[in-house]
Amino acid sequence: MTFKVTEENGTLTGVMDGRLDTAAAPQFAEDLKIMMDNADKHLVLDMEKLSFISSSGLRLLLSLRKETMAKNGDITIINVLPEVKQVFTITGFYSLFQFK
Amino acid sequence: MLRELTLHNDVKQIELLTEFIEVLCEELGLDAMLTFNLNLVLEEAVTNVIMYAYPQDEDHTMTLKTWTEQSDNIIVFELKDQGKPFNPIEEAPEVDTTLSADERQIGGLGIFLINKIMDDVTYRYEEGSNILTMKKNIKA
Repeated sequence: MTFKVTEENGTLTGVMDGRLDTAAAPQFAEDLKIMMDNADKHLVLDMEKLSFISSSGLRLLLSLRKETMAKNGDITIINVLPEVKQVFTITGFYSLFQFK
Repeated sequence: MLRELTLHNDVKQIELLTEFIEVLCEELGLDAMLTFNLNLVLEEAVTNVIMYAYPQDEDHTMTLKTWTEQSDNIIVFELKDQGKPFNPIEEAPEVDTTLSADERQIGGLGIFLINKIMDDVTYRYEEGSNILTMKKNIKA
């Protein structure tokens, strides 16, 4: 999975592309650092091209969510595919994030 | 129709698992959501073995067998490893999906997903092997 981050008007948008499985999780943890460092801002995760997510990926997103709560930032998830969205629903993670 | 896949305890092997499941689901004519969910379940089960069954610096293998029952209505996956005895159904931490982000813990999510998605999950320890059997009705 690739993760490209751009910043515009104080909002950081990260585009997730590919499969976020256990094998991809360590690299994503590295790539997420820029978002962790900016967890006091508006963060957007674009999941249009995210074809797969497992619990390894969810754990990293939970860490980011906790960081934004600690620093008074926020995260919005956009363009999520139905298959990925249901993983958030099943695990109760859906209510922890804002979806658009 | 019995299929078998042998995997090493290395996360890079997930790619082989994904390919195996994709081919299987395509041949069974399963839809995108079911294919995704079976991929998810097997990844969680295999990841558990990779992470916890064996010491990380030793090379070991596990075997995944899959077949259908009741005129292709039920798909069965049997994952077998020779790692330390671990009953994921009883020993995995419980997951409370109603907690807030602050209170949510990171453990147990994999087993939770397996139990939610599959219809029947059983564990047994037999002759030095952990055997996790997972069944799903694919025609419901």
